[in-house]
Amino acid sequence: MTPVRLFGYTDRLSVKPGETIQFHVSAEGTDTAEAQLVRLIHGDQNPAGPGFVEEEVACTANGRWRVEPQFTQVGSFLEVDDPEGRLAFANSFTLFAFIHPTWPASGKRQTIIGRWDGDRKQGYGIGIDEKGYLQFWIGRGEETERLTANVPLQVQMWYFVAVTFDAETRRATLHQVGVGNRYNGLLGKVALVDYESRTSATFRSKPGNLASTPFLIAGSRSRDAQQRARVSELYWGKIDRCGAFGQALQSAELDTIRSGLVPAMDSLVAYWDTSAGYTDRGIGDLVVDVGRHRLNARGYNRPVRGQTGWNWDGFTDCFRLAPQEFGGIEFHADALTDCNWKATKTVALPQGLKSGCYAMRLRSGWGKGVSEEHVVFFVRPGRPRARIAFLFPTLTYLAFANERLSFDHPEREALTGQSAALSDIDIEMYMRDDFGLSTYDMHADGNGVCYSSYHRPIMNMRPRYRMPSLDVASGLAADLSIIAWLDQSGFEYEVLTDEVLHRDGLEALSPYACVISSSRPEYYTERMLDATEDYIAAGGRYIYAGGNGFNATAGIRDGEPWIMECRRRDDGYKPWVSRYGEHYMATDGMRGGPWKVLGRATQKLVGIGLSSSGGGRSEPYRRMPDSYHRTVSWITKGVDGEIIGDAGLANDGAAGLALDYYDRALGTPPHTKIIASSGGHTDSYVVNQQLVLYSYLGLYGSYDWRVHADMTYFTAPNGGAVFACGSVAFAQSLPVNNFRNSASRVLANVVEAFAGASRLPGLAWVNEEKQWA
Amino acid sequence: MLPLEYDRSEDRDIIVRDRFDGLRREFLRTLVNPEVIEEHRQLPLGQHSERLERLLIYFRQRPLEQRYAVRAIEPFRRYQVVKLSGRRGVPPRLIDDAIYTSANDARHGLFLRCIRDLLET
Repeated sequence: MTPVRLFGYTDRLSVKPGETIQFHVSAEGTDTAEAQLVRLIHGDQNPAGPGFVEEEVACTANGRWRVEPQFTQVGSFLEVDDPEGRLAFANSFTLFAFIHPTWPASGKRQTIIGRWDGDRKQGYGIGIDEKGYLQFWIGRGEETERLTANVPLQVQMWYFVAVTFDAETRRATLHQVGVGNRYNGLLGKVALVDYESRTSATFRSKPGNLASTPFLIAGSRSRDAQQRARVSELYWGKIDRCGAFGQALQSAELDTIRSGLVPAMDSLVAYWDTSAGYTDRGIGDLVVDVGRHRLNARGYNRPVRGQTGWNWDGFTDCFRLAPQEFGGIEFHADALTDCNWKATKTVALPQGLKSGCYAMRLRSGWGKGVSEEHVVFFVRPGRPRARIAFLFPTLTYLAFANERLSFDHPEREALTGQSAALSDIDIEMYMRDDFGLSTYDMHADGNGVCYSSYHRPIMNMRPRYRMPSLDVASGLAADLSIIAWLDQSGFEYEVLTDEVLHRDGLEALSPYACVISSSRPEYYTERMLDATEDYIAAGGRYIYAGGNGFNATAGIRDGEPWIMECRRRDDGYKPWVSRYGEHYMATDGMRGGPWKVLGRATQKLVGIGLSSSGGGRSEPYRRMPDSYHRTVSWITKGVDGEIIGDAGLANDGAAGLALDYYDRALGTPPHTKIIASSGGHTDSYVVNQQLVLYSYLGLYGSYDWRVHADMTYFTAPNGGAVFACGSVAFAQSLPVNNFRNSASRVLANVVEAFAGASRLPGLAWVNEEKQWA
Repeated sequence: MLPLEYDRSEDRDIIVRDRFDGLRREFLRTLVNPEVIEEHRQLPLGQHSERLERLLIYFRQRPLEQRYAVRAIEPFRRYQVVKLSGRRGVPPRLIDDAIYTSANDARHGLFLRCIRDLLET
């Protein structure tokens, strides 16, 4: 009997009361599920806190839902729009492409370009066989005839490949020529490798042409057990300019194409100029045929564009500077940016819904076999009314979505200083290939994943989730500790998301007197960063309630907020690194990597920035001399003694996981006060790579003073201010002892002051403060 | 990066790596004693002696398919020790029937398994 499993996602992540939201659910082992709308209040099941807390909410959609298994097309490819079947060749033809395979000997067949139906054995294609050899094949329904190159394709090297087929003689010739230069591939000129092959064969027949077969780039048509059309034989690697002629070209003509020119011949059917249509602010998913038939190709699961091409000479590092050298489109057979499941239910949310984090809780099965899924979304207010907003870091959730570092990344355990603690959902996620990867993972060909999406189930955006590599509640589950704290505190608040902040900019924040960040607001687009800076400068009061914030660049394409892009480079922590020349985001043309390198260190925005990170034991803060200053002593009012945050759900202390520190050299505002600092961190905590020029022995907690967290405060123009907690673990110290603890006391003091209508305490002391200085 | 499952049988540096590993293991075996085992039992996570830290650093750097992990059957209540597959899509496998009632106990069970591997090979 199939175990009962339920998985789901929503079409939108941020909604308002009264709006509709679509739920896309896939079910295994059941055809019904009990749905219940819930507001999520706390997630972490650590017994030192309140445990998992949700509140059932009345909704017309509550009740029994019919559910079914849904199909997910995994893998990126292009489908050519060819309604008149111009690529259904009845006579002679030529296919050509520049290719850069990243996993040629994958053990599976790959299609580069073709009009091929693998189940019906109809059509033609040029691709790579199981052992990594270039191959051309045709079929008319009964057998497949193949012509194979006589030297294997080398991994990460550029080739020009072509096949000519003469329908009269049925003679096929397959050409393979290496076009590597000093920069564009893995191996240099000194490597004694044979790149060239030219093989010919006389076939018994001509290709068949089914009307239903699409012309695909990086995949071919097949069907699943239910005879539903799908795409398989997916390609790993880059494809640059490619095309087709309605005649068998001569060698000299192929040489012309290989030189970068395309003969102006009437027989040209399609020429996909993969570098056409680029703008400085991004590249879309449409690949243009610049031939006369305009047989454009549309990307699925977002092929990676703007990559270095076959003719890239290494002089420029960005597609914006020389687009003609950046025609590479990268494909991965395990890419996924949209499950494209049918909508299971369209739900009109209740009008009076309180702003917060919600989920449709789905349950099916009995006893130990019960399956429960929380399909999470966020309800912002219809019209802002509260003085406080909590900002859910949905972009950071996306960056980490379905990460599997504990299984796949050889350095993860060394980084956290502890063995992974895997849950069953982690193991299930690792075994499945239909939920996609995170931007922390690598595709199976070893290249980093630069797109993540919420149009798929996200196992680690669930209320109880614990990150296995750190064995602590993480992401949403950690941020709910702030929500639970706000709920019990009596402060009236509303919630926002990164998605809204990116779209609406300053307008999203400006209605609020006080904005509270999440525990790890790590990924920021330029618009989000600008809006936050403008909000504070205009008098907004900002609480940076975490660590490792505002650190990494990210991109979101207008109109498609469910996909985020991340390129990795330079001196930031990085699970992989983009190849040289591929550091710029295809989404918006921005340079990827850490914001610090772009002149926007976190310290410039909120006073502190990443100093170090690690795992295992967390530490408390100790009050620093500034905290006794009359301008800021109100922050620690009610705290007994020197210690702040000596307990927590994340390794028993408020300073842990990732720590931020004050650094004038990185832009901490001059008048910033250090309220408290942590210390005594273990050697599992290592100084942030961004802060050192060399690696050397001793960059660890017990050796280097920089391994600590600073809790800081500064006043900003127009009555604004920033309070920064300094650590990812801070939020998880709030719920301890039923929210009665020193970390909770400090945060309450700050929120009360920030949300108040009056001037901040201490501002009246400006003149006297000057005398003290 | 090369493909995750790239055939490395022709990589010559495996010989160098294995030679280094052999010498390293030989030295690390001299560090194992009852005191270091007891230190880990008392404090699986935290600041460790150099002797223990050297052992732990080595265990964290083993090839993925030789590494162990803790499986949380029920967080904060029941744990097991499993061995990673090192191959995407292949789940970790259970190595014995031992059930631990805390994550730290399981971490120590995992450590003992690593010590056994070190001493036996």
